[in-house]
Amino acid sequence: MTSTRKLWFLLAALLLASFAVLLWSGNQIYQKAPPMPERVVSENGDVVYTRDDIETGRQVWQSMGGMQLGSIWGHGGYVAPDWSADWLHREVMAILNNWANRDYNAERFAALDAEQQSALQGRLVAMIRENTYNPETGVITVDEDRADAIAAVSEHYQSLFGNDPETADLREAYAMKNGTVPDPEHRRLLSAFFWWTAWSAVTERPGSDITYTNNWPSEELVDNQPPPSTFLWSAFSVTFLLAGIGLLGWHYAVNHDKEEAPHRYPGSDPMGQVVVTPSMLATAKYFWVLLALFLVQILFGAITAHYQVEGQLVYGYEMAEYLPYSITRTWHTQLAVLWIAVAWLGTGLYIGPAVSGYEPPYQRLGVNVLWVCLLVIVVGSFTGQWLAVMQSLGLDNNFWFGHQGWEYADIGRFWQWFLFIGLILWLFLVGRALWPTLRSASESRSIVGLLFLSTVAIGLFFGASLMWGENTHLSMVEYWRWWLVHLWVEGFFEVFATAVIAFLFTRLGLLEIKTATVAVLFATIIFMAGGVLGTLHHLYFSGTPTPVLALGASFSALEVVPLAYIGFEAYHHYRMSIATPWMQRYKWPVMFFIAVAFWNLVGAGLFGFLINPPLSLYYMQGLNLTPLHGHTALFGVYGMLGIGLVLFCLRGMKPHLAWHEGLLKTSFWMLNIGLALMALLTLLPLGTLQLFASLDQGYWYARSAEFMQQPIVDLLVWLRVPGDTIFAIGALIFAWFVIRLWVFPTPEGAVPDRDTAEADRHRETSPATGR
Amino acid sequence: MAEFYLEIQRVHVVAVLASGGLFLLRGLALFAGSQLAMSVPVRIVGYAIDTVFLTAALMLATIVRQYPFAHDWLTVKLLLLGVYIALGVAAFRKARSLSVRAGLWFGAIAVYAFIYSVARTHHPLGVFHQLVS
Repeated sequence: MTSTRKLWFLLAALLLASFAVLLWSGNQIYQKAPPMPERVVSENGDVVYTRDDIETGRQVWQSMGGMQLGSIWGHGGYVAPDWSADWLHREVMAILNNWANRDYNAERFAALDAEQQSALQGRLVAMIRENTYNPETGVITVDEDRADAIAAVSEHYQSLFGNDPETADLREAYAMKNGTVPDPEHRRLLSAFFWWTAWSAVTERPGSDITYTNNWPSEELVDNQPPPSTFLWSAFSVTFLLAGIGLLGWHYAVNHDKEEAPHRYPGSDPMGQVVVTPSMLATAKYFWVLLALFLVQILFGAITAHYQVEGQLVYGYEMAEYLPYSITRTWHTQLAVLWIAVAWLGTGLYIGPAVSGYEPPYQRLGVNVLWVCLLVIVVGSFTGQWLAVMQSLGLDNNFWFGHQGWEYADIGRFWQWFLFIGLILWLFLVGRALWPTLRSASESRSIVGLLFLSTVAIGLFFGASLMWGENTHLSMVEYWRWWLVHLWVEGFFEVFATAVIAFLFTRLGLLEIKTATVAVLFATIIFMAGGVLGTLHHLYFSGTPTPVLALGASFSALEVVPLAYIGFEAYHHYRMSIATPWMQRYKWPVMFFIAVAFWNLVGAGLFGFLINPPLSLYYMQGLNLTPLHGHTALFGVYGMLGIGLVLFCLRGMKPHLAWHEGLLKTSFWMLNIGLALMALLTLLPLGTLQLFASLDQGYWYARSAEFMQQPIVDLLVWLRVPGDTIFAIGALIFAWFVIRLWVFPTPEGAVPDRDTAEADRHRETSPATGR
Repeated sequence: MAEFYLEIQRVHVVAVLASGGLFLLRGLALFAGSQLAMSVPVRIVGYAIDTVFLTAALMLATIVRQYPFAHDWLTVKLLLLGVYIALGVAAFRKARSLSVRAGLWFGAIAVYAFIYSVARTHHPLGVFHQLVS
């Protein structure tokens, strides 16, 4: 059996085993999710909420943007509070203040001495953590005092989500538009949903002293502290990481010399001889749309960040009336995935015929139809989301055509189906173009097969977003949502990234096909070994049992192992870029690939692992340390890769044009420096400040208006401006570079680019030359 | 944020003076035939100063809730900033003759001085405000 064949078998076995365990975990989550009661009643028998109230309340929450405005169980936006933690704290304080008043005639709980406070707190813990859900009747019974507290907190939320002047300051602090939910009954139902998420966070599982959310969020008043499993699996996860690094280091040491086989590089650019077919040329418009989506994404990012300062205004303009925070954040996050996905789609469609040299009939038509479909999906789904957030769509239409409220999976179900069908069409188009190569007995068959398999996975795994329904349990929606966000984006995008870069180097004749195939297969095995079950690291506190936390912590730590050695990859790319004189033509695509490696280490590896162990995430989830990882990993890795791929395709599409290297150089450094400043000046320090607050006073406080409205927080948010400005200018310069290729094309050799010209001038005037 | 108003204002003023000062010196270096005016470190320092003064300006506008296109003096400042930048960029373009570049450079400095007076008087007519009234 050849080494390639062995690796294929190993990969198949690994994926089978990993997915079997992942599906088993899904079953565990389904079995042990917090129950959805038929009724919630007080001890006197008064109905507090019904199941229908809670489920409809969730629909209301989804329609106003769901996770894009505040968060639930730590997942979502960062400016408004985590509603579960906020509700819990308000409910607890309402009960304690009531008791302090009744039992000690004190105005507030805070006015009592330590002994009195301890007595009340002990009573509260016993009352509030007890699981009073009756599985036979489906009824949760709550204490009369608790029912009163629920009513008081519900009133607060009804005021907050309406137009009440009393809560206007809070709305501004939370970046909520006035009248977020105009219908008073909808506001009452919304509070039912919030209450249920808080109840799950404080109620102990039957026969256990740990709550349904593994004691998350931290709240000293109700004894919500990290359970022992978080300590245990955090320690083990670090151990696994070190073991993995050691093993992979050994592997590199053993195989390093074998990879250094002498290789003869081609004398001229092999890709220069590729015949550009009509369908390949038709992919140009994918790259134009990508640029537009990228720039619009940055614009919405800037507005979203600004709302953290002015709440409802953008430099005095009442922007929240037309584009409230929840819609700008929705579009910002959605566009990130969309433009990166468009880069994949365009690259796949370009590479297919380039590899096989075969233009299937009507391929160009297919490329054009898919492009129109993409435009319709973007415009249609975004319109639906806007109508939903403005509360004009109605709850009945929301799930299919409005705003689903699940971060990164927000578009209506109709649009998800449309996109899924579009991805299948993409697969079909790429597959039929690659078919001659896939069927041939050539050496490149295996690596082309791997590339094609990653495109199949990208196409099919989007199907995970179709697995939940309108009323599926929140824990199960989270499970499937992370199939989409983790497996699709972090898993198969990564495989595609590794495969496509190695593949491009083989097409350039810089890498032996066999070496590349083995390297990519090995990298895929290493990555998937942690990646598939690593999905569960997003679900530590989403109503999941301990095995999910253990598996998630252990396997996600292994995801970092290959990132520790990514310097090898970066150096390898660099060597490729200087291997031959004609590789100068590909300098900037390769530089972007090197940036991918850098941000994979920093954004995905370091900032990702910072929040990865369960004990860390227990305190950090939903603080600014999460977008620190999000921005540096999503743009740093996939954004940079998308730009690198666009440049690679453009080089082939316009082979005889001179590139304005100066523009690319400026853009490259501005994008990287801007991203680094965004991370280091704002997200890291602000996240760290929040972490101290979370550790010291509880999670609710780190997310509260009281904390987030401090001058130091405002100052840190403002410090985003330099980095964001530099980043945005870098993006504009990149767009200008691409536009120039069409609008002001300069034939190669006609006018030297600025860098070359400057270098020439320097040589002419340099004292060293003696002239 | 209002707590930091004075500090931010100071940063803004210092950055504005540094930006103008650097522009002045770059012009003098250019006309003296020095390569320093266009050297990369000098240009990067210029960008860094401009980013700081722009950030501080945005912060001040938000704190005092006075914005361009809502308050005339800020509208004038913003528009003239565009003119200043355009003249400045044109002055350092190599394609033009030295006399044209000197003219553009003087023009930019004049605009800069007027913007400064608008800032001091909080009036769209700046230094001419007294004359009119």
